[in-house]
Amino acid sequence: MTGMPARLAIVLLACVLPVRALAQPVRIGSKQFTESVILGEIARLAARDAGVQAVHERELGGTRILWKALQQGDIDAYPEYTGTLTQELLHGVAADADIATLRARLKPLGIGITDSLGFDNTYAIGMRQDEATRLGIRRISDLRAHPSLRFGFSNEFMDRGDGWPGLRRAYALPQTKVSGLDHALSYRAVASGAVDAIDLYSTDAEIPYYHLRTLIDDQHYFPRYQAVFLYRLALERDEPAFVAALRHLADRIYEQAMRAMNAAVKLDGRRDSVVAADFLGTRIEAGRRGLWQRLRQRSVEHVELVAISLGLALALAIPLGIVAARRRRLGQLVIAATGVLQTVPSLAMFVFMIPLLGIGTWPAVAALFLYSLLPIVRNTHAGLVGIAPELMESAAALGLPQRVRLRRIELPLAMRSILAGIKTAAVINVGTATLAALIGAGGYGQPILTGIRLDSIPLILEGAIPAAVLALLVQGLFELVERWLTPRGLRLQPRQ
Amino acid sequence: MSAAEVDGGIRFALDGASKRYGNVVALQPIELTFEAGSTTALIGSSGSGKSTVLRLLLGLERSDSGCVRVDGHALQPADVLALRRRVGYVIQDGGLFPHLTALGNLGLLPQHLGWEPQRIRERAQALAQLTRLPPDALARYPAELSGGQRQRVALMRALMVDPDALLLDEPLGALDPIVRHELQGQLQRLFGELGKTVIVVTHDLAEAAWFAPRLVLLRRGAVVQDGSYADLRDRPADDFVRQFVQAQRTLPAAP
Repeated sequence: MTGMPARLAIVLLACVLPVRALAQPVRIGSKQFTESVILGEIARLAARDAGVQAVHERELGGTRILWKALQQGDIDAYPEYTGTLTQELLHGVAADADIATLRARLKPLGIGITDSLGFDNTYAIGMRQDEATRLGIRRISDLRAHPSLRFGFSNEFMDRGDGWPGLRRAYALPQTKVSGLDHALSYRAVASGAVDAIDLYSTDAEIPYYHLRTLIDDQHYFPRYQAVFLYRLALERDEPAFVAALRHLADRIYEQAMRAMNAAVKLDGRRDSVVAADFLGTRIEAGRRGLWQRLRQRSVEHVELVAISLGLALALAIPLGIVAARRRRLGQLVIAATGVLQTVPSLAMFVFMIPLLGIGTWPAVAALFLYSLLPIVRNTHAGLVGIAPELMESAAALGLPQRVRLRRIELPLAMRSILAGIKTAAVINVGTATLAALIGAGGYGQPILTGIRLDSIPLILEGAIPAAVLALLVQGLFELVERWLTPRGLRLQPRQ
Repeated sequence: MSAAEVDGGIRFALDGASKRYGNVVALQPIELTFEAGSTTALIGSSGSGKSTVLRLLLGLERSDSGCVRVDGHALQPADVLALRRRVGYVIQDGGLFPHLTALGNLGLLPQHLGWEPQRIRERAQALAQLTRLPPDALARYPAELSGGQRQRVALMRALMVDPDALLLDEPLGALDPIVRHELQGQLQRLFGELGKTVIVVTHDLAEAAWFAPRLVLLRRGAVVQDGSYADLRDRPADDFVRQFVQAQRTLPAAP
């Protein structure tokens, strides 16, 4: 049994070794919806054609995440809308502020803004074309004459001050049949006649598909949501060619074109990079990656996340478990603290990591690391505390120093419990790591996210199946490690 | 055993030592001396404090008052590790570590002291002969050994580095009568041969009388009588001693 610490060291090393260096090209981010991803892809291809090495960190999350990431320099640019800047991100700016005003406000933050890309993606109210024609409705104010119309609004629109409550006041709308819906479902609802009018984004691909009419905002209630790129001002010095390429996109993408691109990706299932390249009249890189290549890359990313976080957790959690077993009070405290960490919802945990560590692999590793602590600490503690008192006494009476007792007697006796804790942590990590794609760490979560966005079951399965297989593999691997590391004498049934 | 192993042993003394666990008094302040090379049996019912005496002598517990003297010197915490290496300790179920083979158990302390594997093996084989353990049992795990074999291995482990004293806490308590009888005989022979200070705790008066010329009877943490078996039987200090002696059943006469 002399080999036990050596064997444990091998397992630890195998977990920690595959740390990779991260290269630093220009990083373009995009939000978690199709239009943003297409714009991100357009920016990447435009940069590439301008000779700038750029990567697209796609579908990083919502507005807040992208805004933070840009300010911290985790990404260098991302597509945004002026309305979001005036309504959500900047304070004390008029809703109708022009881009020059915004540029002046952003400058002290170290952020630059391009001119409008050429289209607005504002909130709008839509109805079925035939129905609107029948009722003679062209403008939002026309709705006032039809109090019995049923509205189905997305939940966010229902709550936002600049959504339904404000709209109702501005236009003095009398309708009372108003229900909250998921945005993706609201198109089907209006198409089937379950509701008469819905909120929509003016560039949504579904507008022409479902033959909807966008009502004219005749009182100019909705703020403008002109599409722009935000970028770090430092790039004007460091990567002037990139900034030039971004600026060159201004006033080149019109609403019609954007809506067509959204439709091509969302309704026709074409790849966003292909659609973006077609728009720019350029080509995407040769050699489209096949399923196996994608799978391999994601597997590497996913396994790295799990292995690095688990390796780091082992290095801290086992000593913590030992300390907890030695000192009762401190032990309670340590276990309670790691328990609290465990109760933080995983999505929140990943988002908490962004201000501390930015986006990408490391914040994801940190979050997974924290989640791994509890099972390992608790099982190490339980394994050590559970050793029969007469064995502890025999060990003490032999005259061996404490550290030798720990290494030769206590840890081997607790080994089973410790390994079970590590196994639990590893399997949970495989599942939780799928959320890491939300903050740009890749892995199996990436196709799941895209699949949800595009409503594509095959894409979701492309991430979900490998994740499940990996969880089973990890489970199996640890069964083997357990057999290898558990002393044979502990597997025997005592003879009477 | 070679003559070199017959040496003086350790002189232990409890000098007003006492021990309580919470509200329970395990041992009242007690004066008790164990001469070097002597064999003593501590007897009494459970809870009488006899195991506590051993635990104090080994430094597994610290006395609340008074002190433990080893060869005349008060035992300090810093000396405990060195003392334990000079003392072999055997408990009721043997206390063998289930993740190690018999030989692995025997080798724990010697290995730490830097013994070569060959020396450990030879010493283990010699002790196996002494305790009549089948040589092939050395490669087995505790779970693969019989109760008697486990107890023999525990005794061997206590003897590996040739300690100056041997403390045994109900060493035969968990064994069936036949094995127990056999081991009683062997232990008695060993105690005589080794010339170490031996203190054996038992609740069985006959076993105590068989092992040791000196019996110390404890009750509720205090010494009731200290003498030979004949003293206890013929001149009991009080009614409790008389009852304790009488309580040892003899076989009924044949009809």
